[in-house]
Amino acid sequence: MHRERPEKRLRKGHFSRFSCAVTIFVLIYIVSAIGAIVYGGAVHFGDAIADKEVLFALRLSSTTAFISTSLCLFLAVPVAYALTYVDFRGKKFIEIMLELTLSLPYILIGIALLILFSSPVGRLLESMGVKVVFTSVGIVFAQLTVNLPFAIRLARTGFASLDQRWQFIAYALGASEMRYFFRIVLPNARRSLTTAFITVFSRAMGEFGATLMLVGITRLKTETLPGAIYLAVSTGNTNMAMSIAIIMLLVSALSLFISNLIGKEKKEGE
Amino acid sequence: MNQEGRTASTLETRESAVSLCDVCVKRGQFILDHISLNIMDGERFCVLGKTGAGKTVLLETIAGRLREETGEVLLFGHHVRSIKPQERGIGFVYQDYALFPNLTVKENIAFGPVSLKRPPDEIERDVRHMLDIFNIGRIQDQYPHQISGGEAQRTALARAIIQKPRLLLLDEPFSALDRATREDMYRHFDRIWRTIGCTILFVTHDFHEAIRFADRVAVLLDGKLRLVASASTLLQGQYEDDVSSFLGLKVADRFCDICDKGEINSEQI
Repeated sequence: MHRERPEKRLRKGHFSRFSCAVTIFVLIYIVSAIGAIVYGGAVHFGDAIADKEVLFALRLSSTTAFISTSLCLFLAVPVAYALTYVDFRGKKFIEIMLELTLSLPYILIGIALLILFSSPVGRLLESMGVKVVFTSVGIVFAQLTVNLPFAIRLARTGFASLDQRWQFIAYALGASEMRYFFRIVLPNARRSLTTAFITVFSRAMGEFGATLMLVGITRLKTETLPGAIYLAVSTGNTNMAMSIAIIMLLVSALSLFISNLIGKEKKEGE
Repeated sequence: MNQEGRTASTLETRESAVSLCDVCVKRGQFILDHISLNIMDGERFCVLGKTGAGKTVLLETIAGRLREETGEVLLFGHHVRSIKPQERGIGFVYQDYALFPNLTVKENIAFGPVSLKRPPDEIERDVRHMLDIFNIGRIQDQYPHQISGGEAQRTALARAIIQKPRLLLLDEPFSALDRATREDMYRHFDRIWRTIGCTILFVTHDFHEAIRFADRVAVLLDGKLRLVASASTLLQGQYEDDVSSFLGLKVADRFCDICDKGEINSEQI
């Protein structure tokens, strides 16, 4: 195996040529789109960032995303653990159901939630003080529902990458399941769980379809960042929309940067 | 010699530590084919085989990590899978150690005793003792990715032995050690074996190691158990062609082996 060989093959191969072409296309397409947004929005970025409404949307989006992501991982981690390490009846069924929800359109999840919470069950909850429809609680709910199967899958990938023999060794050394989970599984999956948190968080920040269905967009009440863009565009305020888009881009860039940082640290650690 | 006499005379009265009866296991490409085996309590038993012969599968089956397809695996008279892993009284050391990467050497060794909630001063004392025996005191605060293969191997051994298991299962336990350290380890193991009186079952591809360290040796070729013999008489038997060629039982080799063994014995005294 010479070092020159893969490089030569890279130049000659049809597949690599094709992938280069697609990459260039995607780059031109995305760079020009993002360029247009940045170019158009940058001028008004100062106004947008000082705007009460935009600030409200930013705060609402980050708060709801943070809460829903925390809940999401809190629920996902034990499920992912069970699916990775424990054999139980109905495991296959759960796996299929989770895969299925992953592929549902978000607007469908949104309308399903709306119907559910408008039903007697929803009214019962409302009488107990849990208002979901048209409130920020609903935003958290929509984000949670959309992201939960995704979070479970991410956490599972993290757990599956651990050495499966550790469980047996820990048990043979007398550890309980809880001790194994908290002392071995969680610390070793820490990095992949952090990455999962960031990924789910940025997805929650961008969640639109299900939120729109369940909560709608009311100015200064249930207006998330994507909602604010939608409102700005529909009222013809394109400049504002582009400025808000820049904020969202910055959030995405930041989360990408942080997860890369964590990935790098992981490589160095090993 | 004296040691063999002891083993022979007391074996009859001991209970069996591991008993496999017609066990078949399939694990990917590894197949164990109708294995029957009886290992006595307190015995040092070696399974000798080439890489890929199914040695690790055999150990994991005995430990109850893999499910046997047919036959039964008994551990001190009980079905292994009917006992909780925590109560099987086994220590397992993998060939690639499988240390917990988020714990230091010291924490790895202390993992078992802490799990059992033993008193802290007792844990501290035992861990110190292990660090001394295995000569890894100076790396006690390092993490597994910072230490050498030999050090990791000794850490894994210490982590298993500190629990004083009834049955110690070792997968190529000394393979990452250089010859001098290995000799050292054999001596330590002789001592450990005498003090905690556990049964030791280890697998290796190293012929010398098997003879040096075991009371009895079994040869595993392609998932089949081909022979079980006392370590001292292993070289004198007449075997089928593939077994003898695996054992290297050509006249010249045998001569060397006997010489080697002679050296080791004199060193031991």
